[in-house]
Amino acid sequence: MKITDAAVFPYPGGDSSVRRLALEAKSLGFDSLVAVDTPAGTCDGIGIQTGILIQDLPMREVIARVKRVRDAGAVISVNARDNGFNRAVITLKGVHILRGIQAADKLAFDHVTAKMAADSGVAVDIDLSPLIFLRGPARQRVIHRYRDLLVFERRFEFPITLSSYARSIMDLRATREITGLCSLIGMDTPDVEKAFGGVERVTAPTIPSVRVIP
Amino acid sequence: MSTRPPTLRENRRYILVRVEPAGTVIDQKELYYTISDAVTSLWGDGMAAVIMQAVVAAESGYVMIRCRRGTEKELGIALSTVTACRDVRLALRIVAASGTIESLRERIRSGPPVGPDRADPEECMFEKKLCIIQHCNGQKLDVIEKGFKNANRLFISRDDLE
Repeated sequence: MKITDAAVFPYPGGDSSVRRLALEAKSLGFDSLVAVDTPAGTCDGIGIQTGILIQDLPMREVIARVKRVRDAGAVISVNARDNGFNRAVITLKGVHILRGIQAADKLAFDHVTAKMAADSGVAVDIDLSPLIFLRGPARQRVIHRYRDLLVFERRFEFPITLSSYARSIMDLRATREITGLCSLIGMDTPDVEKAFGGVERVTAPTIPSVRVIP
Repeated sequence: MSTRPPTLRENRRYILVRVEPAGTVIDQKELYYTISDAVTSLWGDGMAAVIMQAVVAAESGYVMIRCRRGTEKELGIALSTVTACRDVRLALRIVAASGTIESLRERIRSGPPVGPDRADPEECMFEKKLCIIQHCNGQKLDVIEKGFKNANRLFISRDDLE
């Protein structure tokens, strides 16, 4: 299982080049990164996957964009909005990750959406940056939302991914530190290890349930 | 108050952290307040009193932080939420934990040297922009775009240079 950071933003989105982020990620214990709007490749043994983040678009344009890019081999993520939007996005073929649940409406992710995510094999992302950067009630609210999300995850077993949203090498955290941060939201070490492999799980080619043997 | 005999003293642990980016000038007192703020914000006053964090030394790019034995994990989580010290962006990377300061000093000596910023900055090209190399450590380069307007560091590798 590959330990993957599901979203980093290299230069020009951030202040660090993708190669430097890869160097740092390697020293912090990662095997691969999903770099938004960056060509795929390998840097110092760290696999770089292209990430496409779709946000602030109406549903019709989201469908068109996903259709356009779904065969490009990229990790396609859509930012969460209201409940209806999220349900529609989860059933879209080609979408891998639903992001930004902590910033979405309180009722944006319910048991029906969770079941749909599990059935469609769409991961829900846990963004670690609010746990690191926010303080006080804002952070408490995010912790509460993530704990709520994990209740559904334990019940329906949809994939989870972990993202640092690093725009700089200083925003990256070691895998051990991430395990510590995730303990704040009630994830134990096996849960975190499973979540690190979330990207691999959702991007792996699907094995058909019925195979015709000639 | 007289000093307690060793058997009655609290057991302490010392955590060695490396400051990123390399070459950041650390004021020990400011860093103490920053860490204290991070610990209190995350765990509250009650737990902060149990952790009893203190910055005991800051030398050659490394910082040693004291805590009560058994609270290293809580302090480690709080340290990962430190993002700036007096408006200077930084990250604290935990290197080791030990029961004595001396063994951590030994660790610093055996680890890769973290030098200060270059005294004679060299120029380079990155993304068709003229930059000045501020810090260099193997493959890792910290550069600043040349020009009076820019003071932000860019973190690149040697392979990024044109």
